[in-house]
Amino acid sequence: MALNGQPRVELAASDREVVIEVEELTKTFGPVPVLNGIDLKIRRSEVVCIIGPSGSGKSTLLRCLAFLDPYTGGRVSIEGQLLGYKQQGERRLMQGHRELAKVRRNVGMVFQHFNLWPHMTALENVALALRVTRKLKADQAEREAREALSKVGLGDKAGNYPSQLSGGQQQRVAIARALAMKPHVILFDEPTSALDPELVGEVLGVMRQLAVEGMTMAIVTHEMGFAAQMADTVVFMDRGVILEQGSPDEIFKNPRNDRLKQFLDTWRTRSF
Amino acid sequence: MTVIDTISQFLPLLLSGAWATLYVTSLATVLALGLGLVLELLNGSSLAPVRWMVRTYVEIMRGTPVLIVLFMLYYGGPSIGLVVDPVPAGILGLGIYGAAYFAEIFRAGFQSIPRGQIEAGEMLGLSRTSIVLRIKIPQMLRLIIPALFGQIVMMFKESALLSIITVSELTKVATQIVNETSSIIEPYIAVTVIYWVIIEAVARCGLFLERRFSHGA
Repeated sequence: MALNGQPRVELAASDREVVIEVEELTKTFGPVPVLNGIDLKIRRSEVVCIIGPSGSGKSTLLRCLAFLDPYTGGRVSIEGQLLGYKQQGERRLMQGHRELAKVRRNVGMVFQHFNLWPHMTALENVALALRVTRKLKADQAEREAREALSKVGLGDKAGNYPSQLSGGQQQRVAIARALAMKPHVILFDEPTSALDPELVGEVLGVMRQLAVEGMTMAIVTHEMGFAAQMADTVVFMDRGVILEQGSPDEIFKNPRNDRLKQFLDTWRTRSF
Repeated sequence: MTVIDTISQFLPLLLSGAWATLYVTSLATVLALGLGLVLELLNGSSLAPVRWMVRTYVEIMRGTPVLIVLFMLYYGGPSIGLVVDPVPAGILGLGIYGAAYFAEIFRAGFQSIPRGQIEAGEMLGLSRTSIVLRIKIPQMLRLIIPALFGQIVMMFKESALLSIITVSELTKVATQIVNETSSIIEPYIAVTVIYWVIIEAVARCGLFLERRFSHGA
């Protein structure tokens, strides 16, 4: 299956086109501030891993990039289009369902709990949006859905219902479902956190393959090994702000921020 | 006179009563399911007055004995120029009454669909209508089958009240036989057996559907 990304490394990272731009993003849940001014650029074919302690706001940030949680201040743009709001004079109004769907048409999302539809087979899960959103004919949708399932190594599980699949297989179906829409960027919200340890590898394997093929990805994860190996940029968050961002080497080998050093120490001690 | 004698002697009458019970309750159930679903979909409206009207309807219907609803339609109808025959009045009364209960069951069903399944649909660009038709309703139906069939069984039992507005269903037929034969227990046991057969059949349909749609439970 052809992916939309170009081969990596051709351009210097900073010259590539920005896919998602986040400026001065803030988010409050009622009176509680969760994000306190986030600036972030995600460029074409870049793999950005977002790490940080629980409650640091990293999942909320990712959900704001999809407008699943509406942000309260600042802006998020997807390929130049403002996400979630429309400017009307001085006032900012929330986009309707259709306008929002249009802006995030090229954004895929993979959830911690897979969120497959249990009343549909793996194939139907993948094919539904191909028919309904991409308006493909049934046979074409089925063909593309089968290709996407093969790509994640589940070509033989097309007829299984989610309840008949392991967690790792369900998450791979969820990746296939996002991938079949030919997104320009995929957001992963702790994609392996709900999995038994022995199933984590198969999901990371699929994500690694996507990264190599040039998919633009933003990943909230606790898998430091994966971040160190596959990320172009690692972002460390705590208490709703980005404390440090840089290459994996900078973040893992030469952390400057004290909170990051402490976070990495805790993680190293724990992994023994 | 034994129960067997009663059944054999009044078989045609009992069967016509059974048919009336089945016919009236089935139509009332179809009406109640349709109206209940419409009510619940309106309850998801973004317009507050619409939601408020749905809540009021449901609360009033749930707080009123079904017999009162039937009396108002059948005996009260003529005073506002609305003359209804017993059978349509019964179907309508039982239907609008059951709708409130079905709406509540649908609401519970919709609420138990994990939010993430809807978010997944939104992220894949599905319209609101597609999400309702392809994700919410099929999922909701699967989750509520036990409660739904419990309520359908209740509809069959409530239909006995239709005898009071002179619909010739099972209970009315039993009373008729009581008047003709002056034996009391046997006719009522006879119709109880028939009610039981109908209700057991409905409950088994429910169990079958529950198993059929059990993936991912």
